[in-house]
Amino acid sequence: MTFIAEQIVKVFPGVRALDRATLRLEPGTIHALLGENGAGKSTLIKVVTGVYQPDGGRLLSTAEDGSLTELSFGGPLDAQRAGIGVVHQERNLVPAFSVAENIALQAVPKRRGFVDQEAMRGLARRCLDRLDVHLDVDRPVSSLSVAQMQLVEIAKALAVDSKVLLLDEPTASLTGDEAEALYTVVGALRDQGHSVVLVTHKLEEVFAVADTMTVLRDGRSVAEAQPLAEHTRDDVVTLMVGRAHADLQLDSRSVDTTTAPALELENVSTAQGHHNISLHVRRGEILGLYGLVGAGRSELARAVLGLDAITGGTVRISGEPVRISSVGQALQRHRLGYVTENRKEEGVFLDQTIARNVSVTVWRRLARLGLVRGNDERALVEQYREQLGMRISGPTQLAGQLSGGNQQKVSLAKWLAADCDILVIDEPTVGIDVRTKAAFHELIVGLADAGIAILLISSDLPEMITLADRIAVMSEYRIVGELDNDHRYERTSHAVIRMIHAEIAS
Amino acid sequence: MNVPMQQSDATVPTDELATESAQRPPRGLPFWANPRLGLLAVIVVLVLVFSSLRSSFLNTDLTLVPMQQDLSVFLVVGLAQLAVLSLGHMNLAVPRMAAISAFAMGWCYQHLSVPLWLGLVAGLIVGAAVGALAGWIISATGVNSFVVTLALDFALVGLVSLLYSHIGDGVAFAAHPAGMNTLRNDTFSDYCAGNVCGPPVPLIVPIALLAAVLVALLFRLSRVGREILMTGSNARAARLSGIPVSRRVVQAHALSGTLAALAGFLLAINSGAFSADIGNSFLLPSFLGPVLGGTLLSGGAVSVLGTIFGAALTEVIRTGLNLLNFSVQDLNIYIGLVLLVALSLDRVRHVLAERRGSRA
Ligand SMILES: Nc1ncnc2c1ncn2[C@@H]1O[C@H](COP(=O)(O)OP(=O)(O)OP(=O)(O)O)[C@@H](O)[C@H]1O
Ligand SMILES: [Mg+2]
Repeated sequence: MTFIAEQIVKVFPGVRALDRATLRLEPGTIHALLGENGAGKSTLIKVVTGVYQPDGGRLLSTAEDGSLTELSFGGPLDAQRAGIGVVHQERNLVPAFSVAENIALQAVPKRRGFVDQEAMRGLARRCLDRLDVHLDVDRPVSSLSVAQMQLVEIAKALAVDSKVLLLDEPTASLTGDEAEALYTVVGALRDQGHSVVLVTHKLEEVFAVADTMTVLRDGRSVAEAQPLAEHTRDDVVTLMVGRAHADLQLDSRSVDTTTAPALELENVSTAQGHHNISLHVRRGEILGLYGLVGAGRSELARAVLGLDAITGGTVRISGEPVRISSVGQALQRHRLGYVTENRKEEGVFLDQTIARNVSVTVWRRLARLGLVRGNDERALVEQYREQLGMRISGPTQLAGQLSGGNQQKVSLAKWLAADCDILVIDEPTVGIDVRTKAAFHELIVGLADAGIAILLISSDLPEMITLADRIAVMSEYRIVGELDNDHRYERTSHAVIRMIHAEIAS
Repeated sequence: MNVPMQQSDATVPTDELATESAQRPPRGLPFWANPRLGLLAVIVVLVLVFSSLRSSFLNTDLTLVPMQQDLSVFLVVGLAQLAVLSLGHMNLAVPRMAAISAFAMGWCYQHLSVPLWLGLVAGLIVGAAVGALAGWIISATGVNSFVVTLALDFALVGLVSLLYSHIGDGVAFAAHPAGMNTLRNDTFSDYCAGNVCGPPVPLIVPIALLAAVLVALLFRLSRVGREILMTGSNARAARLSGIPVSRRVVQAHALSGTLAALAGFLLAINSGAFSADIGNSFLLPSFLGPVLGGTLLSGGAVSVLGTIFGAALTEVIRTGLNLLNFSVQDLNIYIGLVLLVALSLDRVRHVLAERRGSRA
């Protein structure tokens, strides 16, 4: 079956999210859906899967004999029955349910009217095995890391057999190996005649796996179902951005090594299982913390911030041993900020305005006699709107109405506003488009140049090699090596991967 | 089938488009979906209906003045609940927080013969302390506010009757501090400067309005109030943004207790005595005002203006039905129905907003 979404229009209050966008899916292809943050990709996917009703255009499918049927979905269930599966950009798991229950949610195996627990676990294990993921299926989803949740979400989509599978940024928080396992499965689906739509900002992945592409710009399709073989990376970026664009190239930076490190961990152990972690960041330096999913990087950051218990070792800030008990204390006493990777649950307040989201960390500073003035807040939003290229209709828009990438910008903006000396930044460019990513990178380097110490956690190895001055590699809650980064991709990436594999082998 | 396969004109600069769409006025929801406007309309209609059925509905001494007195009490009661709804919590102990504070005030007047204002301050402190205790238990144990305040209310019922029978004077205090009767009986029209007299507004009305204005300012402008709302919106994100979450929970509950105490004071003034049954009628009205006015039970957003309208609507219905000779039982049935209808309307509003792909 060929599936066509034709001339789709979708209007939100104040925004025309889709303006005659067309998506045409042939069976047996992997189709990349590309565009900048806020271009309308997720909205198109939600229209196609019955989450939103389109304000214009129609959904069609053609049978083998070429006859056309017009489809209309009253809700997500209709789309699912029509053979359309989806992994949305925002996670839709039930935190209190187990991994197995979540995966089997749409296809619960029953026996005599009751849930067949064994069959359910079996189904979940098979789906996870296909992705080469090893997880205890009885664990509650709330105990998983962001990347593990994403894998469960994908497994859940695989549990129902769908002719069309739409993946909205499935690899956003995955590292190379996991993404590769996913793409093996996706390739197999294509060979069986399914069509797969892939939304991603990682263009390397697009060229590695996709056959055709559609590019959206401001809600319009500026390229429709074109074979990728006819395009270069630069073409595609030009199509997305509307003009030529060059990636950021950085030279090695020099760091003053004479002063005491801004943040230093010495033999730190945590309740989470970290063992004898030692590392340090100096003022003006970017230390990259790289590792595979589940290596314990974010968990270490959370322990330093006082969100989990530290059981041994010393944390020093500017040479002084400290005990941090909360993020508030870290911010006020040590000017240490933490940009969380978990945007939806921890990074933004979805039902609050952008103004409040951005200024929440600085109300203490903005307040006169305990009162905050709206003007100061709005000025702050305008400043970061420009600097980060936020696509918003105004400071009073609700954060929940923004596209995923723009929410990420809001979550970063609040820590930029906080004016910290030390920043722990966890996966800053997840779901960020190429142009903005380069702008973010420039911004992060700018912060370091201004003397801020930055601990950068990222699963994106190219990003790490672009930005970091030194890279510490973590595996299974231990530091397995550290190297000076010379910003040359081949050499450094090999060295990093060798460290991880040597550790796993031993 | 003919799907256009051309490359559309790729020359329009991105930024131009972005600003154009941003300037288009937002296509909002229909006016009746705005809870405040809807409420105001319903109030006006009901007033017209009641006053045409019973002309005494507009009689100053018989109806309007007592209505304003009741309204002042229930507005403050609603604010007491609103203070914790902001967190997505509930305070089922509003009635007994009012009761125990009223006891404290009565006892001060009786045994210490303090002036009116000093007794009030003492009562507010007691209310704040009990509220803070509730907030502290909730944040320290992580137990749901519903359960904690329900249990607290139960314990306070016993404590209040024990206090009245042992150190009080049975069921009420006899003391009448100076100024209490003036506050109860006078309206601004009793005070004239030359030929100009004030409106027939009871003296306690400005007290309630002042409380409303302060609460509104707190949540709109002050850092603490905003941080309470952020905590209600998403407690995890609040903690990770550096907000001292437990402290804010305690503060919101303390505010709730303080407002409950104020409501107890106003009711004692209206009824003429600090007695054991103060607060008994507070629980349902505490939810009616805020919820009718569009305050969410899920936290993160409050509407003080809505609470004023919500409390006014309840008061209009109560007085109107009273004048039409409905019995107390009937009255309760109708008030309960109003709440159900309001909650359903709220749901409809949400679903409608969701369909259009925006949030309410
Ligand atoms: N529920 C909503 N209410 C109002 N506006 C919305 C809503 N959802 C999306 N939008 C707006 O529609 C536009 C397109 O958003 P969409 O989420 O489709 O972008 P996207 O291409 O998926 O971007 P990203 O790469 O950041 O995920 C944005 O300007 C966004 O602000
Ligand atoms: Mg998206």
